[in-house]
Amino acid sequence: MLDESFRILIAAVICWLNFMTVDLIFKLPESGGVCGATAIAQEVEKGGGNLNGGFMMGNIVSSPDASAGTLLASCGVFCAGLFGGLFAAVLVYIGNRICYDPGYAGTTGCITATLIVYGATQVGFAASDFIAGMVIAILTIQGISYVHASRLIARLWKVRCRLLRGCR
Amino acid sequence: MIAIYVCAGIAVYAALRVIFQRNTMRKLPFLNVVSFAVTGIIALLLPHPITIAAAAAYFVGSTLESNAIASTWAGGMKKDE
Repeated sequence: MLDESFRILIAAVICWLNFMTVDLIFKLPESGGVCGATAIAQEVEKGGGNLNGGFMMGNIVSSPDASAGTLLASCGVFCAGLFGGLFAAVLVYIGNRICYDPGYAGTTGCITATLIVYGATQVGFAASDFIAGMVIAILTIQGISYVHASRLIARLWKVRCRLLRGCR
Repeated sequence: MIAIYVCAGIAVYAALRVIFQRNTMRKLPFLNVVSFAVTGIIALLLPHPITIAAAAAYFVGSTLESNAIASTWAGGMKKDE
């Protein structure tokens, strides 16, 4: 058995990779989904950050994306096991439609996170580790430095465009 | 239960960043972190199947509020009309 704080750190890394991969595949840094997300991106760029990174930060603020999906999947598995996570995916889907988000990043991220978290609970992790881990993961993107976070996202966005293409 | 203290600590930190950040649009990502942390705290404090609905309702509601604030600040829905 690993120590709880160590498990939380590993969970944070897994959550970060899950939501970042899904968000990049669903092209969140390409453009703002709603005009508010675009405005946040422009403000981030004005403050010295990167526009593409700002788009993703704006989209995370404006609608439940894969990061929200990962958090709610962890909460679902914590409260009600595998079916709780899948029920959370339905709630994220409804949340996306309420927020005028045409994408499916949140729902997809929630389903992948449910499988990951449920799998991890079978090998010694607790679902609560993933709840705290996801809060740490979102802190690194949204809560420390918008300049550095947006530049990091832009760098990963370039890698995604080179590997998968289909970017404007 | 280190997890709940981690969430609470991050919520307080992000709330302080919201207070001390002067630009309204740049406040919103910090507010988003507060929403994440509070959603986590709700689930950790009340481990019951119905809690997932409450946590999702709180999270989607706070996201919609941020969306509304950002869109209003950006000039509303004029482009879509």
